Amino acid sequence: MTDQNDSPREQHPADLAGGYALHALDAQDTAAYEAHLAESERARIETAELNDTAAALGLAVAPVQPSAALKTNLMSMLASTPQLPAAAPSAAEHATTAASAIVPGAAPVAGPTPKLGAPGLGAPELGAEGSSPNVGLRATEPADTDTDSDTDATPPAGRIRSAADSAGRGATTAEERAQARWFKRPASFLLAAAAAVALFVGGTFLGQTLNDNQFASQQAAGLAQINAADDSQRAATTTADGQEATLVWSNKLGISAVLVDNLPALPNDQDYQLWYINAEGVIPAGTFDSSGDGTVWRVLDGTMHAGDAVGVTVEPAGGSDQPTTDPIVAFQS
Amino acid sequence: MLGLMTVDPAGDLAPAAPATKEELLGRVAHGDQSAFGELYDQIAPRVLGLVKRLLVDHAQSEEVTQEIFLEIWQSAARFEPTRGGASTWILTMAHRRAVDRIRSSQAGRDRDTKIGIRDLAVAYDHVAETVEVRLEHERVERAMTRLTELQRQAVSLAYYGGFSHSEVADKLQIPLGTVKTRLRDGLIRLRDELGVAS
Repeated sequence: MTDQNDSPREQHPADLAGGYALHALDAQDTAAYEAHLAESERARIETAELNDTAAALGLAVAPVQPSAALKTNLMSMLASTPQLPAAAPSAAEHATTAASAIVPGAAPVAGPTPKLGAPGLGAPELGAEGSSPNVGLRATEPADTDTDSDTDATPPAGRIRSAADSAGRGATTAEERAQARWFKRPASFLLAAAAAVALFVGGTFLGQTLNDNQFASQQAAGLAQINAADDSQRAATTTADGQEATLVWSNKLGISAVLVDNLPALPNDQDYQLWYINAEGVIPAGTFDSSGDGTVWRVLDGTMHAGDAVGVTVEPAGGSDQPTTDPIVAFQS
Repeated sequence: MLGLMTVDPAGDLAPAAPATKEELLGRVAHGDQSAFGELYDQIAPRVLGLVKRLLVDHAQSEEVTQEIFLEIWQSAARFEPTRGGASTWILTMAHRRAVDRIRSSQAGRDRDTKIGIRDLAVAYDHVAETVEVRLEHERVERAMTRLTELQRQAVSLAYYGGFSHSEVADKLQIPLGTVKTRLRDGLIRLRDELGVAS
């Protein structure tokens, strides 16, 4: 092709500075350059300057007025979109991880400067905004679009299941139901009805099981992706104890998140555990904890497949390979 | 040193600008929705303008713009005013998101048919709406003329076209290694011309 004795991988990584600032590198070159950044103060300075230069090119582009719906839509999403704390991971970590999707600018020269540590929002006046106006916003979204986004808003038919039937099962004894291997017969306990509502309700808080900043970033990024996906859906139900629980997901992205209000805190030797349930079996999808009030949420580990059921059980701390108790809540996607 | 920021000199030329973007971002970092709304009003047209420059398709560009503003909301606390202006921070994010979209979707291929090398200079079809934008445009256009033809084409294809290294090499029919060095020395020249320096 156009390559003559030109072997890019052998070049000095410093040559990649321009492509890096212009977002023109492939993954391999990006990794190579970031390794170089981690070692070279000079490269970090150059990169900061070239980033600024690239942004100057962006500022020279003629503005385009967005549709009014875009702002309306965005504003309605704020209350349910968690914010990240200020502390930034180290330079080299930045762009090589999922977190880079959400940590812009990669600010390689930036050290952590904790400014605030409030990942949760949920100021009271915001809660009200999130409670219902969200519903249907997608549908009113860009009238001027020529994508298929309006068809995405069509609810999947025939997903509604009997909540009354399932709720009744909450009365049976735990042993009895555990014996019956609840996850082998998902249809009998599924509580939630799917609905094509793109946005969740407000008052979301970060489920702080871990202080790990990276983890929090990935979690927040996942939730935001679901939120922004044009096929995001939700299913709402209540737990066995009556707390409101919501599953949000995107089949296109293959990810989902569970949100529960006022989920009771567990003793130290127990965790809540998430599961994907499908024809393959029951797949562990991460553990979390709850402080007992506010909304706790967690993006599930692993990949969601269309039609998967999602369950939450209480397990020994650290989680189990397979569920050992009955679900406190389950959803059919 | 790195705090020196000349990219957004006219950022607040608007008459009686109530708050700078940097101040607004600081408030957004604390969950201030009205500050977010104000910031949006100030910069959304710039963001959409840039994204649409790369993606061409308006609907997709609005989608990506939405993602960008959600990211601004989420990561406002990570903005460091000592490092550069808010506009720079936001447009960097916008460009990366637009490029991600091109790489990850059909958008890139569809778009290829609409975008040609012809308009990849600092295309500017219509009159700027504000003095700020016009000044910035003229400044960049002038700086662009200081590049060699190859530098200018490579930088334009990468930045305004959202093309990768290897795509730029294909389009310009030059070796990949040459593209890399042209992008770097081209940007360095621009940096010097635009006065973005430490």
